[in-house]
Amino acid sequence: MANITKKVSWSSRGDEPAPAGEGTPLLNGAGGAARSYSRQFSGSGIFQIGRLSTVDLEEDPAPEEESAISRPKEIPHNEKLLSLKYESLDYDNSENQLFLEEERRMSYMGFRCLEISRWVVCALIGILTGLIACFIDIVVENLAGLKYKVIKENIEKFTEAGGLSISLILWAFLNSVIVMMGAIIVAFFEPIAAGSGIPQIKCYLNGVKIPRVVRLKTLVVKVCGVICSVAGGLAVGKEGPMIHSGAVVAAGVSQGRSTSLKKDFKIFEYFRRDTEKRDFVSAGAAAGVSAAFGAPVGGVLFSLEEGASFWNQMLTWRIFFASMISTFTLNFFLSIYHNKTGELSNPGLINFGRFDSDVSSPAFLHLQGMCGLLGALFNVLNYWLTIFRIRYIHRPCLQVMEAMLVAAVTATVSFAMIYFSDDCQPLGEDQAENYPLQVSISSCPVVPFRSYVCPTLQLFCADGEYNSMATAFFNTPERSVRSLFHNPPGSYNPPTLGVFTLTYFFLACWTYGLTVSAGVFIPSLLIGAAWGRLFGIMLAHITPYGSIWADPGKYALIGAAAQLGGIVRMTLSLTVILVEATGNVTYGFPIMLVLMTAKIVGDYFVEGLYDIHIKLQSVPFLHWEAPATSHALTAREVMSSPVTCFNRVEKVGTIVDVLSNTSTNHNGFPVVTRVMDDDEPGKICGLILRSQLIVLLKHKVFVERTRSRLNQRKLQLKDFRDAYPRFPPIQSIHVSQDERECMMDLTEFMNPTPYTVTQETSLPRVFKLFRALGLRHLVVVDSENRVVGLVTRKDLARYHLGKHGLEELQLAQT
Amino acid sequence: QEFRRVFFLFLLKIICSLILEAPLAAQSSAMVSLHLVPRLIALLLLLPGRIRSSSPVFNSLLSDLQGDPELEERCRDLLRDFGRRYESYVKCAVPSARPVRICENCHIQFEMLRVVYNNISSDQADPENCRDSLLRADRLMLVYMLFQNLEDVWDVAHCSQCLSGDGLSNITLRYMAKLNQSLSCFESQKNNHSELCRVCRADYKDLNEFYSIMEKNQTLCIDIEDSMNATRRLWSKDFNCSFPREETVPVIAVSSFMLFLPIIFYLSSFLHSEQKKRRLIHPKRAKSNNSLMNIQDKHS
Repeated sequence: MANITKKVSWSSRGDEPAPAGEGTPLLNGAGGAARSYSRQFSGSGIFQIGRLSTVDLEEDPAPEEESAISRPKEIPHNEKLLSLKYESLDYDNSENQLFLEEERRMSYMGFRCLEISRWVVCALIGILTGLIACFIDIVVENLAGLKYKVIKENIEKFTEAGGLSISLILWAFLNSVIVMMGAIIVAFFEPIAAGSGIPQIKCYLNGVKIPRVVRLKTLVVKVCGVICSVAGGLAVGKEGPMIHSGAVVAAGVSQGRSTSLKKDFKIFEYFRRDTEKRDFVSAGAAAGVSAAFGAPVGGVLFSLEEGASFWNQMLTWRIFFASMISTFTLNFFLSIYHNKTGELSNPGLINFGRFDSDVSSPAFLHLQGMCGLLGALFNVLNYWLTIFRIRYIHRPCLQVMEAMLVAAVTATVSFAMIYFSDDCQPLGEDQAENYPLQVSISSCPVVPFRSYVCPTLQLFCADGEYNSMATAFFNTPERSVRSLFHNPPGSYNPPTLGVFTLTYFFLACWTYGLTVSAGVFIPSLLIGAAWGRLFGIMLAHITPYGSIWADPGKYALIGAAAQLGGIVRMTLSLTVILVEATGNVTYGFPIMLVLMTAKIVGDYFVEGLYDIHIKLQSVPFLHWEAPATSHALTAREVMSSPVTCFNRVEKVGTIVDVLSNTSTNHNGFPVVTRVMDDDEPGKICGLILRSQLIVLLKHKVFVERTRSRLNQRKLQLKDFRDAYPRFPPIQSIHVSQDERECMMDLTEFMNPTPYTVTQETSLPRVFKLFRALGLRHLVVVDSENRVVGLVTRKDLARYHLGKHGLEELQLAQT
Repeated sequence: QEFRRVFFLFLLKIICSLILEAPLAAQSSAMVSLHLVPRLIALLLLLPGRIRSSSPVFNSLLSDLQGDPELEERCRDLLRDFGRRYESYVKCAVPSARPVRICENCHIQFEMLRVVYNNISSDQADPENCRDSLLRADRLMLVYMLFQNLEDVWDVAHCSQCLSGDGLSNITLRYMAKLNQSLSCFESQKNNHSELCRVCRADYKDLNEFYSIMEKNQTLCIDIEDSMNATRRLWSKDFNCSFPREETVPVIAVSSFMLFLPIIFYLSSFLHSEQKKRRLIHPKRAKSNNSLMNIQDKHS
């Protein structure tokens, strides 16, 4: 009866009666309430009556209140939601007795070996990432080469015989088919592999567990998908996905096994937990960047800037090691592939080529603001498009169709541009001879052993000349970028470039966010390069002696940097990446200025593209700082309460019930000292995780059993690691009726010293603790150390600074 | 490079004029002292040979100090021979500059020049070999540079690619035959351009294809490239025989159809696909009823 009176008093205490409290399904798991349900099963009837009698406002008296009372309010998807499907990573180590025991057992040598194996893992990450990059590069090159060869021959044939519209259809068809393959594997097999993967990795490194993001299957789909989308002629690049691939490789290698392939190599077992894995994933992301751009330092800084919240000297050094290995591996194997073993001239997937180092012209300053604006426009357009896609185009078949349509339209637009272009330029003979240094990087490399055909189209140009629009469109984007950077002045007419920039801008904006794996780096670079080059040409025209100092190639570089900066809003890492990719430190200063301005101008309007996509996916992402005006909020207002707690020695039935309650998918449970009076929350003595409980249930570590069978093997930390990272769901664990009555002693397994804060702690303080320590659960206690609430990532991430001050995001089921 | 050389010469002149004052003054006062000798030797190492000829005083002094400055007769012969062949090559090459026929016309001369240069550079008789005294004796290394320049020109022209043995290669000859055929066809029809385009198309196409094959096999030299360029220009620009753009309508039709597809797609998915709704979840809060109000109070 204490129960009833408690409920009554509790509900009448609040300003708004019980529905807000007892009625909501989430409250079922509440400490006192949960226990009352399970233990006093017979009493629940009385309990209900009591509640009914006291709380008139309850609309639906049915026992299954879950669905009825909460009355799911449905709203269209928008950016102001937090999804329930994302959980946190356990970065904080659980220092339970098992852990201490293991540490005691480990010798000095053991720790040394661990340190060495960390280095080995990093080396492996680097090598594998480099090899994947190499594989992607070679396959894309050959596939695209083949495609362009077929189309080129076809166009040449029909230019003569008439019927060019057939070539157009052929081109569109080929593009669609290739892209269709890529879209199908992504949409039907692994939707998480869509896009560049940088937002996902950013979230992962932030401490959000994105389901399936670092699985082997994702990697395979990603690699195949990116090959298809680049070869399919979409306005995309293969650099962003490299970062994701690197991260997956890192997550896989560091575990020494593959859960998907059911293969366990029995190595690196110590690394099977979130803390270690996340460190390795940051190394993998760095290796990916470094393989993509040939920028090892840039990769390390990317990991620093975008991800790793946890950073120390040795980790940095290891990450740098992994990136170096990765770019070297790529370089080495590509040089073998190009029959130039040992020349090492391909440090990254994209090669900007060499720039000479006089940065004489200060006129690049005009470019930046404009590019920031363009970047913001790109982001805004893409934002609306993505919302539309999430709301309406969510069925896989529709997504595949959309990707195919984009591919076909890309081909059509390119063809139309080429067809109506009158911009003919003389073919490269004398050009190649005049600029012997640039032969290998000009639009049409004279490299005989490559299967890649020279992608110049003559069409209606005079013999011996080529259509210069075709060099920009009839090419993989990487090559277009390079030709924009390095072709001598006069290779492109201003109208060609203008039309090209405009078209490509919309194509790229349309393409990003499709259900194909593809990056946004190269398209941005391309837009920026085209438009920077246009600017350079204009400058050379309007200023006296302009043609002497205004080298359009340099403006292309600066424009590319500004555009990319305006879209993704990375600062330090992007500067270093670009400097490393151009191989010229002198450009660091203008690139830095340009990126700064682009970021300032762009941030005035809208966030960076990756942040937009993170928001649209409703990820509880924690930024570096708490929202600026949140000091008035205290932990009491932020926390979830009441909390589902367990006793030190808890009945198995209770645990199973709490765990299998689908409406409260809690992951951490404070363990409290037994309290006689249900009214009072217990004193905290530890914290136990759902995953640990599941392992315990699986191994049936019950007090009664331990007593009866003394020879039973003691549970070790290894048993928890073996189940990591895919702990079985509670439904798969069978607990018999007898076993439900058993007791379970959690003392040995719980984390005995969880972090706690008092109720009065301000939000920024909680936030800082959370962010800096990588916590997953933060227990809020009162002055007597009794559990009153629990702060999790979603409680913190929901506050953000909007236009009208502090806003709160809503939780939603996605 | 050019600039640096000029600058250096200028510096040299200044240094010379400064230093040369000193020995002249010394001579006039008849006090040729021994301490000048090391200074002069240093000067010798520093300055190229032109000073010897420009200043007779200096020259005689030099020959006295250096012992026998004269070249061996053998080397002098080689040098003379080199000069003659160099001259004949240049005489041949300059008139062949436009239209470029350098490979075809001058390969014999170049071969001869190369032979004599090889003789010089392979002369290693002891102790006074011509290789060292002709090619490496001074900073300028004139003979070496002259030859190197010509060889660079030869390489850049890819002349070796259309030569075989001591004459033009077979493939080049075949190309020339085809070229002549096309050109004579052009010649015969040059009054009526539309007729020319029709009649000579086969020949021209044959030539063009042959050229592409040569391009792929890298058997092109500048002569062939240039003649082909000229022929193409004739064909496309002068006779106006390139393909006209006459399929605009079908291309526009197909393109607009393609561009129309996504509009239909998006419209239909907007109209027919049910909008994805998100179910909101109410989190449990200690004071869920007033926490948001608090925020709003605090900030309104």
